[in-house]
Amino acid sequence: MGNLWSSFITAATIDPNKKDLNAGTVSSVVITGIVVVFIGLILLILCVSIYGAIFSAAAKKKAAKAEAEKKAAEQSKEAAAKPAASPEPEPLIEDGIEEETVAVIMAAIAAMSASAGKKLVLKSVKTSRPQRSAWSSAGIAENTRPF
Amino acid sequence: MSIISSFLDTMAALARDSGFAGFFADGGWKNIVMILISFVFMYLAIAKGFEPLLLLPISFGMLLTNLPYADLYHPDFWNYQTVGGNDHYIDYGNILQHGGLLDILYMGVKLQIYPPLIFLGIGAMTDFGPLIASPRSFLMGAAAQGGIFFTFVGAAIFGMSAAECGSIAIIGGADGPTSIYVSSKLLTDKSTIGVGTIALAAYTYMALVPIIQPPIMRALTTKKERSVVMGQLRPVSKTEKLIFPILVTIIISLMVPSAAPLVGMLMFGNLLKESGCCDRLVKTAQNELMNIITIFLGVTVGATTQADKIMNLQFAEVMGLGVVAFSIGTACGVLLGKLMYIVSGKTINPLIGSAGVSAVPMAARVSQKVGQEEVPTNYLLMHAMGPNVAGVIGSAVAAGVLLAVVK
Repeated sequence: MGNLWSSFITAATIDPNKKDLNAGTVSSVVITGIVVVFIGLILLILCVSIYGAIFSAAAKKKAAKAEAEKKAAEQSKEAAAKPAASPEPEPLIEDGIEEETVAVIMAAIAAMSASAGKKLVLKSVKTSRPQRSAWSSAGIAENTRPF
Repeated sequence: MSIISSFLDTMAALARDSGFAGFFADGGWKNIVMILISFVFMYLAIAKGFEPLLLLPISFGMLLTNLPYADLYHPDFWNYQTVGGNDHYIDYGNILQHGGLLDILYMGVKLQIYPPLIFLGIGAMTDFGPLIASPRSFLMGAAAQGGIFFTFVGAAIFGMSAAECGSIAIIGGADGPTSIYVSSKLLTDKSTIGVGTIALAAYTYMALVPIIQPPIMRALTTKKERSVVMGQLRPVSKTEKLIFPILVTIIISLMVPSAAPLVGMLMFGNLLKESGCCDRLVKTAQNELMNIITIFLGVTVGATTQADKIMNLQFAEVMGLGVVAFSIGTACGVLLGKLMYIVSGKTINPLIGSAGVSAVPMAARVSQKVGQEEVPTNYLLMHAMGPNVAGVIGSAVAAGVLLAVVK
């Protein structure tokens, strides 16, 4: 196939400095050009269509599966919600932390756990001792920024 | 007394060696005309906004190269010699030792380094999503390359050499880097036109796409065809976008190896973008690298516009055939769009066919604009981007064919 192909291409090779090209040469260039461009792009159409079809079929399957799982989860949730009515213990809040801060932390956890499909519980809120001084944090930030 | 005479002698020598004297030397008036022409292109770039990022460097290169005795560029260094049976030998050692600034930078054009690097940047900026969602767009991108090959016929009728025919024809691909790539490889010192001429014509017409295309599009389509409203394209997954550049590189490079540098770099840039893990490389390819290469490419291509390659009948022929190439390309794209309109049961708007000439994204915007003249709520832009980016691949394949045939 490779030899056939290269002989097809080289059969019509023209010297760059050749003037007054005859009709046969010119029409062979035109036909070769248009045919090769179309063959190339039609090959791409076939490949892209095939893998496009595979992927959209896979995507549909995935979507259907996700839908079914979601439904099942909802059902089990409803079933589980009734017996598990006992409230979670209240989180231990250190003195000096405002209720607003706690609310923000709880909201963030709720948002994260909703997307992960898990239910997380806030147990305590404490102030932590800073690991590094402000100067060393600034130094690290400065050095790692380019990356 | 001797001080005064030596002073006068020195002044006279300086005057003889100055560029001003060069204008009065043999053929010096041609340089003046060329400098005036460069002013025209600078005006078009700055005041009229004609592809300024390229036309301005090109026109300034044109100015620099035509300043007598500045020795920035030496056309005679680039003449082919026959050494050991190789009739395309260029003495790069001599250029490195004696060349001017623009000679050194021009090596990137002659060695086909700059156009593929520009393609790397274009790939990093292009979203092939619309083409993957609607692969039939490839057909319009292929049809619009008809302009290239029909113009080859036109140039042959004018009695031009094969290299000149190929270089002029590729203007129809509406792709600047591809035009420079093909012409710098094909044109020899015996050719009457230069790479600069081809680049000037290509970029001028690319800037004129919004003027050249709409009349042809309106003439070839009916009001009913232009009014077809096209629905939304399907969403394309990341995996599909990742497979696409690899697939295109393999298929096209195996089919037309001479198109591999252009298509390979285009798709490499696209893979970097779609991979999502090489942000820094993508940014460089899109911005810094692309801008640096654009400056080098523009100013050196401009430098090749020497008086004897511009001030001849062939320049007028190039400009004339260039616009023919563009128009036929547009017409072929629209006509295939019409065919697809019929075959698809009137669901495809033939206006998106004209976007098959590359000129990204200008040609797609023209399709959108002409379509909106009929139905103001019709958004053809994303549909037109399919043939548009297919046109970039198509013209690279067409370039590969020309390079494989003429050598």
